[in-house]
Parts: sequence; structure tokens; C-alpha cells
Amino acid sequence: MNMANITKKVSWSSRGDDSARGEATPLLNGTEEVRYTRQPSGGLFHISRLSTVDLEEEITSEEQDSVRTRPNMIPHNEKLLSLKYESLDYDNIENQLFLEEERRMSHMGFRCLEISRWVICGLIGFLTGLIACFIDIVVEKLAGIKYIVVKQNIEKFTEVGGLSISLILWAVLNSSLVMVGAIIVAFFEPIAAGSGIPQIKCYLNGVKIPRVVRLKTLMVKVFGVICSVAGGLAVGKEGPMIHSGAVVAAGVSQGRSTSLKKDFKIFEYFRRDTEKRDFVSAGAAAGVSAAFGAPVGGVLFSLEEGASFWNQMLTWRIFFASMISTFTLNFFLSIYNNKTGDLSNPGLINFGRFDSDSVAYNLYEIPLFIIMGAIGGLLGALFNFLNYWLTIFRIRYVHRPCLQVIEAMLVAAVTATVSFTMIYFSNDCQPLGQDQTKDDYPLQLFCADGEYNSMATAFFNTPERSVRSLFHNPPGSYNPLTLGLFTLTYFFLACWTYGLTVSAGVFIPSLLIGAAWGRLFGILLSYFTSGSSIWADPGKYALIGAAAQLGGIVRMTLSLTVIMVEATGNVTFGLPIMLVLMTAKIVGDYFAEGLYDIHIKLQSVPFLHYEAPATSHWLTAREVMSSPVTCFNKVEKVGTIVNTLSNTSTNHNGFPVVIQIPDSDEPGMVCGLILRSQLIVLLKHKVFVERARTRLSQRKLQLKDFRDAYPRFPPIQSIHVSQDERECMMDLSEFMNPTPYTVPQETSLPRVFKLFRALGLRHLLVVDSENRVVGLVTRKDLARYHMGKHGLEELQLAQT
Amino acid sequence: MCLRMGLFLTDAFVLTFFVLGIVQISATKRDFSVAGSEVSGHGALMPMSGARFLPESSPFKAHKIAYDFSLSLSSSFPEDLEVSDYCLALLGIFGERYVTYVKCLVSHARPVKICEKCYANYNNLREIYNNISSDSMGPGNMSCHDSLVRSDRLMLVYMLYSSMEEIWSTASCTHCFTPDEKSLSNNTLHILTALNTSLSCFETHQGNHTELCKECKALYRSLSELYSTMEYNNILCIDLEDAMNVTRRLWSKTYGCSFPREETVPVIAVSGFMLFLPVIFYLSSFLHSEQKKRKLIHPKRAKSSHSLMNIQDKFS
Repeated sequence: MNMANITKKVSWSSRGDDSARGEATPLLNGTEEVRYTRQPSGGLFHISRLSTVDLEEEITSEEQDSVRTRPNMIPHNEKLLSLKYESLDYDNIENQLFLEEERRMSHMGFRCLEISRWVICGLIGFLTGLIACFIDIVVEKLAGIKYIVVKQNIEKFTEVGGLSISLILWAVLNSSLVMVGAIIVAFFEPIAAGSGIPQIKCYLNGVKIPRVVRLKTLMVKVFGVICSVAGGLAVGKEGPMIHSGAVVAAGVSQGRSTSLKKDFKIFEYFRRDTEKRDFVSAGAAAGVSAAFGAPVGGVLFSLEEGASFWNQMLTWRIFFASMISTFTLNFFLSIYNNKTGDLSNPGLINFGRFDSDSVAYNLYEIPLFIIMGAIGGLLGALFNFLNYWLTIFRIRYVHRPCLQVIEAMLVAAVTATVSFTMIYFSNDCQPLGQDQTKDDYPLQLFCADGEYNSMATAFFNTPERSVRSLFHNPPGSYNPLTLGLFTLTYFFLACWTYGLTVSAGVFIPSLLIGAAWGRLFGILLSYFTSGSSIWADPGKYALIGAAAQLGGIVRMTLSLTVIMVEATGNVTFGLPIMLVLMTAKIVGDYFAEGLYDIHIKLQSVPFLHYEAPATSHWLTAREVMSSPVTCFNKVEKVGTIVNTLSNTSTNHNGFPVVIQIPDSDEPGMVCGLILRSQLIVLLKHKVFVERARTRLSQRKLQLKDFRDAYPRFPPIQSIHVSQDERECMMDLSEFMNPTPYTVPQETSLPRVFKLFRALGLRHLLVVDSENRVVGLVTRKDLARYHMGKHGLEELQLAQT
Repeated sequence: MCLRMGLFLTDAFVLTFFVLGIVQISATKRDFSVAGSEVSGHGALMPMSGARFLPESSPFKAHKIAYDFSLSLSSSFPEDLEVSDYCLALLGIFGERYVTYVKCLVSHARPVKICEKCYANYNNLREIYNNISSDSMGPGNMSCHDSLVRSDRLMLVYMLYSSMEEIWSTASCTHCFTPDEKSLSNNTLHILTALNTSLSCFETHQGNHTELCKECKALYRSLSELYSTMEYNNILCIDLEDAMNVTRRLWSKTYGCSFPREETVPVIAVSGFMLFLPVIFYLSSFLHSEQKKRKLIHPKRAKSSHSLMNIQDKFS
């Protein structure tokens, strides 16, 4: 048993060696690489196999060392952790400056802070609602113009011949709109690509994603989403709304914009990660609420995604922001629709009203709903699986901005082509309804006069409208073949589109796919039961299908149920939706992870899940931690500090402050922790012991100076330290965090994990019995363990 | 109050069967008068239970039962709660006009011509209803609105009228008339002429469908354009919509004049080309683009020798 253990430990690194050798030989084609990514170079601790494994015993520790020293280049895969990402500093630094400030602050001051928190939340809601309104109106206008132009063209050419020209016109219009969207994303702000939900999820988890909450990102996101939706891609504008809300929150709460170099000198107290995170969760909630008209769903979304640092007082404030956001959107849309003051039109995606008659359901339908949930889970897993491979391919081969723009344009053109071909060859003609002519763009094509092409209501429309018509059009509006073909094509189009370098969400396409097959399901039911009226309304099944598909793809549970219930405005449908989402999640999780989790993994983000991986209790802090640790003395030489900070190979962020026992090699006793950002501010203001003695008049450093530099602390290279100053000394005792969290070496991994997750830590010191630093645990040390197919696996750090 | 309700029940039943009778029996008026004479004569003496034994095969009989029932109550009505004669007269006129209107609707149900043919009847009905429901006091110093329309739960007069009004508004008949609702609007007359010319063109070329498609195309086209502008401006009533639907069906289905699908080859060629582009794109980026490689970093770790011992301790 013991022997086997050692063997396993060694063979872990030998696998790394294996893949390194594989990479050294030039590859002729891609098939080989795929094999290597399947057996990633990450190590495998496979506990259950320990007793049977007895190979590779001859591998020596020398080989192990040689692996460590050689720079390893491997193709990008999901089992990496990027060095690019750092943690946010959620832990409050209770240094002397902080205590002084707190002492100075009156009771009134704290009251004002509380009030300004509310004001900020109101502002967040208001601005998010405004942005949602802006996006909605502009998309509607742009898409309207596009569809009218194409429609007129098609009508003209249906008669005189030359429909292929209409096809080309449609494709060109689509790709030029998408080109604009893709260019601004690819060249100006790549972080704005996609829905932004994975990024916000990471942010709320405590990972600092560079540039994710900047004003520029917001701009690019908003215009990008307008272009991609109007450009006819299989995307929605709901996911980006959540990101936009988060950016608004991060901006408003700081009372300034670093990008615009404008400081309003307000809300200065909130300029730190802890406060900002609370507001960002409010912003995300406001975004959800504006997108779906679901205030409660928004709060629950924030709770579900950012629950690691939740505070009950926050709930009420976030709910306030959500409500304000929905009703701002509501109010401005009512002005736009010339019904000023009518506040009953919430949400970007309006599922329309379901009359209680049309969604009445019975006990015997519950099993059917559950079956639909299972189908949704299966299809969702397939979607995620396909998208996973596509994304890996994109990261590896389509990484240059111009290639990304071309790809997006091609997808747009192909979407138009496929839609056109579908419409062209469809024989499904339906009589024109009364209210259809003004809102939609019905295409007649080869149908009889007074009829329209039913395929065109699904394809020749913005996705939101298609969803609505699938939910609400009366029975008989679609024939089964149309729906089947539509589901099939849209499934692949949506899967292909998600992950392009355009800002766009996956909510609406999922809903649309689900609504299409759900409606098909409903129609087929009434076929097989020979037309009894109990299955009469296919719209009900469209709704259930939409929920199942969305649940199968994104795997959200509580918040999604509430969002769906709120968006349909029908509480009685809560139970079926919940059951469907549960089934979809269970079935889907069996095959593949949720789409957002896959993308987080592929971005190599050190994401901490709810729990430490199971079967990891035997790992202790000693194995997990990084060691040795770079420490500073309480009074440290400036030169040492500058050298340590400038060292590019070790990009450390927190440094334990120790009391060194003179003339000994032993690590010192911990007395505090100081952050890189603090040191940089200290260096910038030249807070040296010698200076303090010579110039007593010099202003004492305050917490405000640290806040002013937040969140973009200058790099160490930009701070000039002269040769003389390098000899000075710096006293850190006033600025360091005097009570950092420490754990003994024997603490198990789940215990460390819990501390990290619950307190939002960034650094955790590992000390021995005499309080001497032996190591430092950071987020990346914890995030690298995860449950793989073969038990506990370890991810590797990589430069990306 | 209860007594008054009884009286109105009388009216209600009378009216209901009145209307039903129009549809089912042609000689309703005579039946009604017969029933009335029965009431004044020996009806009051008839025991209530006796009514049950009457055969209920015809509407006429049912009507009689109802009448007997209410009559037995009405004998004890105090004088001042009676409906004034003036109001009863109004009600009678309302009934007559109602009948004519409904008759007109039914006889012009298919093909729909209700707006054109029944608007005079509708206007009459509306006039009398407005009289009834206006608050002006009649001779008995009591408005008929209260006594006829609002004094019971059923509010039958109101219900009857509002259902007729709903038919009228669903049909959007007002769209086809001049604002004073006295005559058809100019637009309507235009499109009716256009419809008639198109239909007569269809008539003349009945024998040869290809010729028909060619000859009547211009007429049909101008009709379609006129119709769609009117549709856009929302000035259509059901008569025109129905007539247009029939014409369209004739044109597209009966004579088969809609556009044929004949450019399949170019469409397939263009879409084939479009679908081929991404294949080229992905292949070329796969072959020519440099694969993105990641540089692995090996973090500093504590010497694992004794930690391994630790693991062993735990597992053994």
C-alpha cells in the first residue's frame, strides 16, 4: 500500500514528462494533439486505483527534477490555471490607519454611509434600466430597417426572379453589421466577448478578471450586442445586460471614472474590493431584472452565483436595485410606446401574457413535463459538448483578432443563408392573422395571397419575437416539419455562434430551440392522442421546452425557475418549471458541465466552487501551500522591497511581515501581512524612516491615499527610486494587516477551502507550532484540485 | 324590490324568447300575442306545479311556462313600483328594432355584408337604446334607465345591447363609414368598385386560367395595393376583408396565379458557396495558423519527501 502510494505520486509527474516529450516532436496534423489534450499533462491522484497500479516504478526523482526545470509548452486545454488572474482583496485590512479613520468617523458618518449605499443602489437600478431601454430600442429600430429592406427586396424579386440576389443582400447586411460588432470587440475590448455571465460569476467568486468592469467594456458591450442582435446572429441581448449592470454598479459606486479621468469626489469610502463586490452583485441583479422583468429572479441570481460572500442586509438593498431597474425600463419603454405611465410592460424579453386558461395543467401532465426536462438535459449536454470542442479549437487556432472578425462575419452570412434556404424551400403556408402585419415581418414568397410563410416567422425575425410567437401563436400556426427543421438548424447555429468574438448571450437562442421542440412535442402529443382537446395548447409545451433547454444548457436552478415564472407572469406554472429544470440539470450534469462552467474552465480561471472536491480530506495545508515564502521584515530596506517587487518571475502579491531572529536561517515569526498595492503606494509617497526624521512637516499618509490609487495601482516599473533612496528603510508596521489569518500545517484541504470561500481570503499563511511562516496558500493553490473522471486531479499553472 | 325583479323577469323572458323565436319560428309575433291573451285571461289561475306537466317540445310552450310563473307573482305588486307605460313603450320599440337588426345580421352572415346592409338597423337600435339609457326623466318622474336597465342582477337589456355592439365593433364596421355613420366612406366605395371590376374580369376569362392570370393581373394588382394601403391605415371593415379574402383565394388557389418557385438552382448555388466558405476558413486557419501554446509554470512547493511520508501514514 505504501509502495503504491509513492509510485502514484511519482507517476503523476511522469505523465507531465510524457506530454512534454509529445510536444517536443513537431506535429503534422491535429489528430495527435487531440489525444494529448484528452490525457492532459495535469497530474492524476487516483486514490481508488492505488492498490492496483504498479507500473513505472523505475522512474527516479532525477527525472522528476528534469521535468520541473524544462519550460513546458502545451496546447491550451481546460486543465490549466492562468497566472493572469488574481484574487480580489475582500479581506479588510485592519491596520492602524484604518483604526484611526474609524475613530475619527462620527455616528452620523456611518449613517450617511448607509444612506449613500441605498442611493447608489437606486442609481445602479436606474442606469441599468436606461441601458436596457437603449439597447432594446436601438436593436428594434436597426433590425426593423434591415428586415424591411430585405423584405421589400424579396417581394420585388419573387415576382421578377432573382431571389439569389435577395439572399446575398441579406447575407451582406448581416455580416456587415456583425463585422462592426466583432471589430470593436476583437480590437478594442476582447473581454466584452460572449455573454459576460462567466466573467461576472468569476468576479463575484473573488477573481479579478482584468478590465471586466471598466467603462470601455460597457461601451463595447452595449454597441457590440446591438450589432450582433441586429446582425441576425442566433444570439440574445439578455446575458450582456447582466454584465452591463455589473459594470454600471462598479462604476457608480466608485464615484469616478478612471477611463475618463474624472473624479466626482463622492463615495470615496467605497473604493475597495469588499464594498465594490457588494455593489457589483446588485448590478448583476439589476441586469437580470431588466433583462427578464424579474426582480426576484435577479436577486436570486446574485445569490446563486455570488453566494460565497452574502450578507443578509444586502438582500434587501439588491432587491431595491432590481425593482428600480425593472421599473425604469418599464417607464421609458412606456414613453417610447406612447403609453406614458403604463408600467406593466417589464423586461427586455417579454414572454407575453399567458392566460391562465392556456397554461392550465393537470396532474397527468407532470410525467410528460419530466420527460421533456430529460430531453432538455440531453440536448443541453450535447450543445455544451459541441461548444466545448469548438471553443478549444477557437482558442488554439482562431486567436488573431482579424481571424476572429472574419469568423464572426462568416457565421452571420451562413446564418442568413441557412435561414433563407429554409424559408425558400418551406411549403408551410398559414393564413395571416389580424395583428401580425404590423409587428412582424411576414413573408409571402410562394404562398397564396393572404397567407404567409410559416418558416419565416421563426427565421425572419429577431429571436425574441420568434420566441414569443412560438409561445403564443394559436394552435396550427406551425406544422411539425417546419418546427423540426427549425429546431435542428437553430440548434447548430446557436452552438456555433456562442463563443464568437461578439458580445451576445445564449439565453434567447436556448429558449428558442426549446420553444421550438417543445411546441413540436405538444403538436405530436395531440396527433397521437387523436385530437382530444386536453393537449390543445402547444404554447404551454413550448414554454416547458424552453425552460428545459435553457436549464440543460446553463444549469442554473433556483434563479432560473424564478426568472421563468416571473417572465411568464404566472405563478401556477412554478411547479412544472421547477421539476423540468431539476430533471434537466440532473440529466445534463451526468454528461457534461454547464456552459458557463465550461467557459470558465477554458479561460483557466482559478474558480472556487461551493465545496472542496470530495475525497480531499487527506490533503493538508502542507501539500497545498506554496513554499518557501518571500517575507519582509518589519523595518525593511527599500532596495530589497523594490527588487522583490520588480522580479518578474515571481509575481507575488502578498508578503508576510516577520520578525527575524538575528543570525539564523530559520523563517521568522509572523507579525503581519502586507500587499503589493500597499507597498507601491508607500514607495510612491516615499514613506521612508529617514525622511520622516528629516521632514517632520510631511503629511502623514492616510487611508485616502490608498483609495485614490485604487483600483489601478501603478506598476513598480513606473515608480522611480533613486540609488540613495534604495538604502533607506521603510517601517511597515503601521500599514500592514497585523492580524492575518493563519492555519497550522496539518489543516486539511476542505478546512482551508472553507476559510477561503467563506471569508473571501486572498492569502492564508501556513505556520508551524512556533508561529513561523512555512508557506502561503492562495486561490490558485486551492483551485487546482478538482474532481475529474479518475478521481482527484490537479490542474497546472500556465502563462496565458 | 323582489316584486320588481319579478316584473322584470317577465320582460326578460319575453325578450329572450322573442329573439330565439325569430331564429326558430317565423311567425313569432303571432305567438307572442297569443301568449299575451293567455296571460290576461286565465293564466293567473293556473297552478304553478301544473306547468311542469306541459310538454316542452316547442319554444312556444316554454315561453308559456315562464309567463305563468311570473304572473303568479305580479298580482301583488304595489302600484308605485310598476314600470311606467312610457318605459314599456320604449322597451317595445327596442324589441322590434332588435329583431330587425338580428334578422339582418343573420341573413348577411355569409358572404359577410353586415356593415353595408345593416348599418341603418344598427343606427336605429342604438338610437332607441340611447333613449332608454339616457338619464332624462320620463312622464312618471322616473328615468327608464333605472327601471329598465339597472334594476336587476341580469340587466338583460344592457346585455342584449352590448352583445350586439360587440359584434359591430369586432367587425370594425365603423371603419367603412363616414364619420357621421350615415353612408359608406369614399375609400370603401373605391375598393368596392375595384373588387367588382376584378371579379368581373375573372368572370370573363373563366375558361382559360393562364390567360386570366395575364389579363387580370393589372386589375388585381391595383386592387391589392389599394387594399394594403387601407390595411396599413386600418380603415377596413369585415365586409371588405372578407371580400378580399375570397378574391385572393380565387386568384391564388382556384386560378393558381401565385408565383412559381423557379429559381431553385441559383439559390442552391449561392447558398452552397456560402456554406463552403466557413469550411475553407476553418481548414486554412487550422493548417496555417500557429497553434497557441501555453507555457507551464511550476510553482514552488514544499519538499514533498516528508509530506509523502505523511500521506503514507494516513493511508496505512
